[in-house]
Amino acid sequence: MTAPQPSGRAGRDAAWRTLAELSVPSEPGNERRATDEVAKAVSPLGLAPGRLEKLKTAVAEATMNAMEHGNRYRPETPVVIEVLASEEDLSVRITDEGESPVLSPESQDPDLEAKLEGLQTPRGWGLFLIKNMVDEMRVTGDGAHHTVELVLHLEDPERGGT
Amino acid sequence: MVERYLEASVRRTPAGAVVDLRGEIDGFAEEALNAAYAEAEAGDPEAILLNFEGVDYINSTGIALIVGLLAKARASKKRLLACNLSDHYVEIFNITRLSDFMNVFPDEESAIRSSQPSAISDQQEQKS
Repeated sequence: MTAPQPSGRAGRDAAWRTLAELSVPSEPGNERRATDEVAKAVSPLGLAPGRLEKLKTAVAEATMNAMEHGNRYRPETPVVIEVLASEEDLSVRITDEGESPVLSPESQDPDLEAKLEGLQTPRGWGLFLIKNMVDEMRVTGDGAHHTVELVLHLEDPERGGT
Repeated sequence: MVERYLEASVRRTPAGAVVDLRGEIDGFAEEALNAAYAEAEAGDPEAILLNFEGVDYINSTGIALIVGLLAKARASKKRLLACNLSDHYVEIFNITRLSDFMNVFPDEESAIRSSQPSAISDQQEQKS
């Protein structure tokens, strides 16, 4: 599988280095393997503990989505994860073999009151958590794969640096 | 990585029932979490405190399970409280607005103090 280049602000003007490439079988619970591996890969960047926890939550949720909705929990179909860094950004790209993107960044946020009243399913928090945990999220697809890219800006003074 | 399936146990205190949680709150936790909540609710306490001290992972499915418990508590007019969440999960409770519907305390002592009859009547007076 050939992965497209990281997109957006960083993709235009930054040199990327690969920190890790890994894959996990699409089986429930394997998102924890993915987060542990990503956390290990980014340790040289010295992310602040709070930022690291947010990244881990975003990676876990995106990997769960990829395993469940993209790969339909077929263990033989892996979720592929690339961890890249530039001077400005960290990018984690999570790719499944779904035919069409199931995540839309424009999706409506969950309504807790409606869930408590039984008007909505209690589920549906994954995308909302991802969007709130990272600085940017992008979804791309080519008909055979789709990729969620999670971006953290490094050295962001408003967020207390890295 | 070793998965830590959820273990849950229930204690009774004068202020209500405490559900001690240990492990991970994800899709595998549903049975243990719901069973512990049912056990806690069986004594008809005014308040049920979820003690997250031993919890190191909550995912979106776990959030959905907690939403389910909160819906049950509201339906039976019980107060559902939380304590000992890590800073990260306090933030997630804030982002999801769970903390608008269940009081979150830094520790068990402060949660129990808030559940004493005098504290509850003080809160009611403040709201009226």
